[in-house]
Order: sequence, then C-alpha cells, then structure tokens
Amino acid sequence: MNHRTALAGVLALTTGLTLAGCSSSSDKPELKVVGGFMPQPVNDMAAGFLVVRNNGTGNDRLTSVTSPLSDDVTIHETKDQVMREVTSFDVPAGGELDLERGGSHIMFMKLKRQPKEGQKVSVELHFEKAGAVKVDLPVKETTHNPKKQ
Amino acid sequence: MVKKIVPAAALVVAAALTLSACGGSDNDSKKPIADVSMEAKTQAATVLDQPFTKPALVLTDTHGKKYDLRKETEGKPTLIYFGYTNCPDVCPLIMSNIAVAKKSLPKADQDKLRVVFVTTDPERDTPASLGSWLKAQDPSFIGLTGDFPAIQAGARQIGIGIDAPKKEKDGTVVSMHGSQVIAFSPKTDKGYVLYSEDTTPDDYTKDLPKIVKGENP
Repeated sequence: MNHRTALAGVLALTTGLTLAGCSSSSDKPELKVVGGFMPQPVNDMAAGFLVVRNNGTGNDRLTSVTSPLSDDVTIHETKDQVMREVTSFDVPAGGELDLERGGSHIMFMKLKRQPKEGQKVSVELHFEKAGAVKVDLPVKETTHNPKKQ
Repeated sequence: MVKKIVPAAALVVAAALTLSACGGSDNDSKKPIADVSMEAKTQAATVLDQPFTKPALVLTDTHGKKYDLRKETEGKPTLIYFGYTNCPDVCPLIMSNIAVAKKSLPKADQDKLRVVFVTTDPERDTPASLGSWLKAQDPSFIGLTGDFPAIQAGARQIGIGIDAPKKEKDGTVVSMHGSQVIAFSPKTDKGYVLYSEDTTPDDYTKDLPKIVKGENP
C-alpha cells in the first residue's frame, strides 16, 4: 500500500464516522452536497450542477436556491429538449438528486457579474426539512461535463 | 497508469462506505461504480444511408444581413444546430464543444468550416443578442434568425422537430432546442452525419478533420 492509498483510506473512514450519527433519530434526512460546479457562462445567464446525497432515513426536497450572483435563481428540469421550471426536486431517503448536464439544473438569470473559470460562486440550497445548506460552486470551462470524462 | 488507478479505486471504496453508513440503499451505492465503466462507447457519430439535403433557409445573420444557407455554405463543410440563447445548459454546451474541437483543426481547415446556429426562439434572439452569445464561444460562428415558421420548416427538412416557444401562465417563455447537430459534406452539400447532445469535445476533435474533407467518420 502506497502513501496515497493510505490517505484515501483514512478519508473514507472519517466520512463514515461523520455519517454514523444518523441511526439515532428516525425519518431524518442526512444531506451531503458533492460534485458541484458552474460552467463559465457565455451570456448573462448561468447554470449550476451538483449532486445531493441523502444518507438519512427521511425524504427531503430541494425547494429553492439563492445566491449573491443573481436575484433570479430557479430550478429546472429538461425533458424532450424542453427546459421547464419546477417548484421542487425530491431528495429521497437513501438516494440522491442529480443535477447534471443535459438534465435538471439550477438556473441563474440576470447575473450581477460574469463568473470566470477558476472562481467560485456561493449558493444556498433550501431544503424542506434540512433547511439551508451553503455550498461553493467552482466555475469550470463552458464545456465541463463530468459524466463524459 | 497504475498510479492513476489506485487512488480512483480508493475513492470508489470511500463513496461506497459513505453511502452504506445508514444501510438503507444498496442500489445507490452501486451507482458510482457503474459510472466508472461507462467509457466503452464506440462512436459519437451516426452516419446516415440516406443523407439530408441542405435546407432551403433564407434568414437574417447576426449583422442583420440576408443569409441564404445553401448559397453561403456551398462547397463548405458545414455543421448546423437549432437552439436558443436563453438556454443555460445544452445549447452553450454543444456550441462550445464544437468551438473547442474547431481550434484543433489546422488554420486552413478552420477557415473552411461553417458552423451555423439557427435560433428556435426568434422573438427573443435578435441578430445582436445572437451575435454576442456566439462571439463568446467562437467569433466565426454564424447565427441566423427570422420568422419561426420558416425556421421550423427548415429544421423539418433535416429531421429536426421544434415547436414554437410557448408563454406559460406565469409569463415565462418555454423554448425548445434541436436534438442533433448535422454535418454537411463539402463535396456533395448533403448531410450524412448526426451528433447527439452527448457528443464530447474529444468526439468532435476526432471527427472534424474527416468532415472537413467530406469523409464520413
């Protein structure tokens, strides 16, 4: 086992420990936001992508998103080449909500500034039960698409 | 190579561990593992036996001038896509993917290639707004707008179904983008090759040199 693997092992253990607390209370969502990013926008609107994992025993829902980048932030799904605003996204217990390219996303309109690759955009995700969760979305190149790499 | 694989495997284990902490979801813990093996894709392009004839579209370009698609792109390798600029995800993704691939072509080939973006939302996409949107991705890209029925008829000639933008009750406009990019040969001016929105910059980079020569990938 080399040095790097050992480190990853320790990391895995730590994560396991932080989540172990969820057995104590029933029907509680335990949310973790991973893989967030924003492709560098080409005009005054932008999209945000991320995955919300729910390791808890209760369902939750993402109901809104706010950000200092824009006063007009909405959540959308894309189906059959049509993008539609929705009022919420389910985050089922033991499951995850995938906001990924070509599918559902967070949409930022009338941007107050133009985010550039390498910068970060902070957003606050509002969940029905878990409340507000703050995350920073790193700005990636316009073509960034993790599922294709 | 070996060095790269080891940390990746460790990561998968880590992900599996975090997910199994509550013991509820065996299905989801398998998800990241499945994604790792998704790379066995053969080819991005769909090559048609019966090619499309270039649509007879006469529209307005980003400089406000009349643009006759058949006349302007005659004898040039041409990529055509139908979309709209109030589209934060798929439309800029496709156009930027093509922009990345185009940069890898030799300069002479770059000059030959015509990349045409036709708006599906002409009411909101003026020549000016279309122009600035495309310029941010590649200044050579051609943007066309005009009457929706003309655009829709042109799209239909190459197998692309688009509906007119619809205004919802709350005032938001719901537009639609095409499902495919179609590549036309410089030799015959026919469209032999289709690309879905899942096509990556690498796929285009691999195929564009052939498309520029009028060969099928």
